[in-house]
Amino acid sequence: MTRQAPESIEDIVKGIVAAELRTDRGKLQPQTHLMKDLGADSLDALNIAIRLEEAFKIKIPDEAIPNFLTVGDIVKGVEKHQASASMV
Amino acid sequence: MKIRRVAVTGLGLIAPLGVGCENVWPAILAGRSGISRINDFDTSRLKTTIAGVCRDFCPERFFDEREISRLDRVSQLAMAATDMAIKDSGLCNGQLDSYDAGVILGTGFGGQRSIEDFCLAFLSNGQGRRSAIAIPKSMYNASSSNVAIRYKTRGPNITVTTACSSGANAIGQAAQLIRYGHAERMIAGGADAPITPVVMDAWKEMRVLSTKNECPERACKPFSANRDGFVLAEGAGIVVLESVDSALERGAHIYAEILGYGSTADASHITFPDPEGEAFAISRALKDAGIAPDEIGYINAHGTATKLNDASETDAIKRVFGDRAYQIPVSSTKSMLGHSMGAAGGIEIVVSLLAIDHGRIPPTINYEEPDAQCDLDYVADGARPFPEGNGPRTAMSNSFGFGGNNAVVVMRQLAP
Repeated sequence: MTRQAPESIEDIVKGIVAAELRTDRGKLQPQTHLMKDLGADSLDALNIAIRLEEAFKIKIPDEAIPNFLTVGDIVKGVEKHQASASMV
Repeated sequence: MKIRRVAVTGLGLIAPLGVGCENVWPAILAGRSGISRINDFDTSRLKTTIAGVCRDFCPERFFDEREISRLDRVSQLAMAATDMAIKDSGLCNGQLDSYDAGVILGTGFGGQRSIEDFCLAFLSNGQGRRSAIAIPKSMYNASSSNVAIRYKTRGPNITVTTACSSGANAIGQAAQLIRYGHAERMIAGGADAPITPVVMDAWKEMRVLSTKNECPERACKPFSANRDGFVLAEGAGIVVLESVDSALERGAHIYAEILGYGSTADASHITFPDPEGEAFAISRALKDAGIAPDEIGYINAHGTATKLNDASETDAIKRVFGDRAYQIPVSSTKSMLGHSMGAAGGIEIVVSLLAIDHGRIPPTINYEEPDAQCDLDYVADGARPFPEGNGPRTAMSNSFGFGGNNAVVVMRQLAP
């Protein structure tokens, strides 16, 4: 019997970005720029932040959101906020 | 200041009988009903389980998935009908991408579905879906603003909300802007998507909805003695307005002129209609049009099928037209389309314009028993030709809203 590997942070982030921006997750690379490559706007960024907070049980501060420019930025951001949460 | 005549050069219509004038108009003339059983939410606790749903409307035909996620159903209806009206008008992008082109839309319930979704998300303590788009999606001006964004109309952009007369007031106000030179082209009309569990329940408490659920198509009986209330509906009716000179210069098809507009308040009761306020709106519209009551060939009634409205409206018509009231055909297209609240005035003005353009008057269906208080000619025997021999075809559309908000628009075929 094989255990299914838990989804990585990157997998979950790609799933959320793909769902919110109505795009194919196969197109998402760490360097994919949400606004320049996928046509996202600030409202999309806010909605993605909501979904990330729900999925990872973290709180994303307002000032972090403008830094979520690429998929890779988001993954790093989630890792950072998960680490802060676990330090409490 | 030069006062310009106002032409209607494009129509867009989404109603329970179909999408597009080319589909709805023949069905109206045939006396078909668009009323059906509600099947997209639980109606077991409601006394009325029927409504006028726009089942033929497919948002995917007009919007992509991402746009759909940002637009309440009311905005989808408004924008899709606008799309059809603009295509019908033949106006190109350059003529709309301008500070001289504007939008006035009417709605009674605005982004009601979205408001309910977001209330549920909030009140269910995080069980529902939070969203950053809640406010832009549900705000009352979402429809008119999204029209401006899509077509780049940079002129006046206003949302009118006067209950059941919203769409008519929107068109009247837009016509004024053209008339007095504040805009060169206006998109105007009404849209509403009020069929939700919460709204149906609220209407239930007022006991004004028809409960003849067993036969939905025959439930709405305007002017009939056995009428028992209105049937809630959704839809959108949009017109494109410009000056008559502009329309003639570019060879556009002109459905009719918006000749006059009367808008009054009953200043009486928040729900009960007052025939005096309604009669004044009619008189004001005729005076604004510069015509005598004799010149009206057809009245598209507000005709909701409530006991109160139909009697009050009949009284108001008689006060203005006197004995001649008995010779003017008066029909209620709500008998077929239901009452789409803020959209109704827009839809009915579109229907009146089609009546002028095609020379046919739509019927009132489901008229079964004469009522002494409603004794006019309600076109109960089927569609008929527009009366001729009285000059250019001239029609009047009545919209009388809760709060005593009355709007009447007079339209006339352009004389050659």
